[in-house]
Amino acid sequence: MKILVATEQFAGAWNKTSWETLAAGQQIAAETNGHLAALVIGKGVAPLADELASAKLDEVFLVEHDLLATYTPDGFKIALAQAIAEAKPDLVLFPHTYQVRDFAPQLAASLGKGMIGDCVGYRVENGRLIFVRQMFQGRTAADVSFEGAGPWFASLQAGAFRGDNVARGAAKAPVKRIAVKLEAAQIRTKPAERFQETKQAVDLTQAPVLVAVGRGIKAPENIPLAAQLAKALGGELCASRPICDEGWLPMDRQVGSSGQTVAPKLYLALGISGAIQHVVGMKGARTIVAINKDEHAPIFEVADYGIVGDIFEMIPAVTKELENTKA
Amino acid sequence: MSPESIERERLDADVLIVGAGPAGLACALHLANLIRKHNESGAQPPLSADNIYVLEKAREPGAHQLSGAVLDPRGLSELVPDFEKHAPLDSPVTDDAAYFLTRSRAWKFPITPPPLRNRGNYVVSLNRLVKWMAGLVEQASVNLFTQFAGAEIIYDGETVAGVITEDKGRDKDGKPKENFTPGYELRAKVTVLAEGPRGSLTKDLVSRLHLDGLNPQAYAIGIKELWEVPAGRIASGAVWHTMGWPLDSSLHGGGWLYGMRENRVSVGLVASLEYHDPRFDPHEAFQRYKTHPHLRRVLEGGTLVRFGAKTIPEGGWYSMPRPYADGVLLIGDSASFLNGQRLKGIHLAIKSGMLAAETILETLRTGDASARTLSSFQKKVDESWIKKELWPVRNFHQGFEHGLYAGLFNTALQMVTGGRGLVDPMRIRPGYEEYHKLAPGAPAAPPRFAGDGKLTFDRLTDVYHSGTRHEEDQPCHLHVADTNICADRCTVEYGNPCQYFCPAAVYEIARTAGALRLKINASNCVHCKTCDIADPYQIITWVPPEGGGGPNYEGM
Repeated sequence: MKILVATEQFAGAWNKTSWETLAAGQQIAAETNGHLAALVIGKGVAPLADELASAKLDEVFLVEHDLLATYTPDGFKIALAQAIAEAKPDLVLFPHTYQVRDFAPQLAASLGKGMIGDCVGYRVENGRLIFVRQMFQGRTAADVSFEGAGPWFASLQAGAFRGDNVARGAAKAPVKRIAVKLEAAQIRTKPAERFQETKQAVDLTQAPVLVAVGRGIKAPENIPLAAQLAKALGGELCASRPICDEGWLPMDRQVGSSGQTVAPKLYLALGISGAIQHVVGMKGARTIVAINKDEHAPIFEVADYGIVGDIFEMIPAVTKELENTKA
Repeated sequence: MSPESIERERLDADVLIVGAGPAGLACALHLANLIRKHNESGAQPPLSADNIYVLEKAREPGAHQLSGAVLDPRGLSELVPDFEKHAPLDSPVTDDAAYFLTRSRAWKFPITPPPLRNRGNYVVSLNRLVKWMAGLVEQASVNLFTQFAGAEIIYDGETVAGVITEDKGRDKDGKPKENFTPGYELRAKVTVLAEGPRGSLTKDLVSRLHLDGLNPQAYAIGIKELWEVPAGRIASGAVWHTMGWPLDSSLHGGGWLYGMRENRVSVGLVASLEYHDPRFDPHEAFQRYKTHPHLRRVLEGGTLVRFGAKTIPEGGWYSMPRPYADGVLLIGDSASFLNGQRLKGIHLAIKSGMLAAETILETLRTGDASARTLSSFQKKVDESWIKKELWPVRNFHQGFEHGLYAGLFNTALQMVTGGRGLVDPMRIRPGYEEYHKLAPGAPAAPPRFAGDGKLTFDRLTDVYHSGTRHEEDQPCHLHVADTNICADRCTVEYGNPCQYFCPAAVYEIARTAGALRLKINASNCVHCKTCDIADPYQIITWVPPEGGGGPNYEGM
């Protein structure tokens, strides 16, 4: 199988999920004995293509054009259709970003092909590639596969694969430039200034360690205790909905069905009961440690390590121990 | 930015329908059909279904629709004569049974009481039925705007001139965010309020123009779960209704369990919002209901698929507001078109929507949408089978004011006297006046129901299964006029019933630094409107949150 990973960059800087998609591409290629290529699209992005070439893959495609300097759905759709015609992949993988959501379904439809969006995993069954998508807000998962001839299109949810798992190649892969024909008249939209979402001071999805506080923290005065522990662990502070709702922490630190979905290496839940709304946002963490004084709290059902105890005893003790070890 | 200073985009329609439920969609579809016939006949002026707008606050049509549901096809067969070929009818009713429950026993009524007989009816998912109706409405080129709610009525004096949709993109404090979009000013010759029970615009209109019926509206709360159970537990199309446990005999209400296709089961409990104990928790009562051996043997080992809650206007004919005024009609649950004795309203909602459509066609022909012309809606209702069905049960609900046994006695008497019974009209007071105050030194409230996580659930788990979702950073859509009452008076007098009647854990009395205060978890809201109805001081006003917010009743 020929796999093409279409990466995403903005102004010469990676969208980090590109590396997650590349990691997925490497895994699929390894399992199917496939051929793996990656693609960079934009203008002045040759250094990025060069960076990609150090990863373990067979080739890198560089698609550059003046009209691709800023993103437009028409420009990207037309250019990628040409690149796909040349690279002839069986499967095109995208990170499931806002931009991909905008143009990739159009691209797939314009080629008369299907696209499976927002996948969280895959498996190979009797040589058939099956993607897994969450449904009903993560309550259940669906297996989806392609019918008919490729190229097939799929996008992968942020955090579903780990970017730090990308294997480096023994030698640099060749970088091949694909010339695309694109005219200004084909682009029907004019990019306006980039929309700044409410300033995200913190990107919880990128933090390796998260210290989460829930109702058990009781009062805003106690938040710094948890913040100190987060600092000692080299992680970020986050919270369940009631805490952010009270305004004790800003909303961008909320984890759960109405906040962010995270998958850190370590998730430390302090005084969080574990209502399902919170759990769906953090159950993907590699290791979950929960401290709660209620031994029946549902958080213990998802925790790898559970401590029935008083967080106000535990937090300072653990923080002190960590600081001592460091010193 | 004050609402007055906002420049709003204005759109002009012939007809604006607020709410895409069975009533609103039936009105839109029937009107589109009538307009087609009108144009085909060459009558003047030419009309267009393009000029019918329907607003729906849900993310997609049907997402806020909740009912048992057993459909009496009478209304639908008039609206879509070949509905049986196309409509998503889950199962024809194959068996119906009524039970009286005690804590551990179920007594089957030897004959199913006539109002609960359902042969010829269908068990349906109202969500799916409405989604299907919405498709027909859109094919008929009506403009259906989902994710838009009616936030405010535009009045020209006492004439309703249209509706302003809700502003989008305001933050918690009401300040515009980057994505702020002011609501649209939608003006129409005729506005139709089809908001379901306790519509926020309907409430405003009825009180402003004094359209109240003889009785205040009487409401019940219905709580439902959809389950998937192991094969062979119950036949699809089996319809069970129960009385008695877990509701004590002072409470008017009952439960249901319907078998559906693919081993799905609809189970629910209805409790009248006229109870005395301010700490009565309808959600908990429903959870306990499922543990009755008669239901447990159907559900045990199955899985919860969806949860929902909704209020039901049970007052009947005498609670009906005047359903017309200058420029406006009221239909469906908003106008009390529901038969409380048969526990059915979908067919009446559809029929009321159709009669409204016939009335509107006349006004579009003449250009006169005054109350005088629109009053022909009332006449059409009076002459239709709606009144024939509702009039004999006009005192049914009121008969239960003094409990189950008095209610059954009254019902029997009404059935032999054509609905008159002992007193006609029987009057009732609003349900929120029925609370008994807590005795001084009343024992502290017991801990809240937690559920076993298999057959029974706490409220947050159920809220999760409602699929409800709201933008968190928006103004609270539950306006409490005076929060001091909550901690000062209500805690002492009633023990804050909002904590108990809300099935979605929206209201919480939090203790901060020793002081009690009301905390509103608005994003849990499933849009049932119970708080607006059942608050003892009537200081809670439910307004629509940003469009698209709310539950997702897929398959319910």
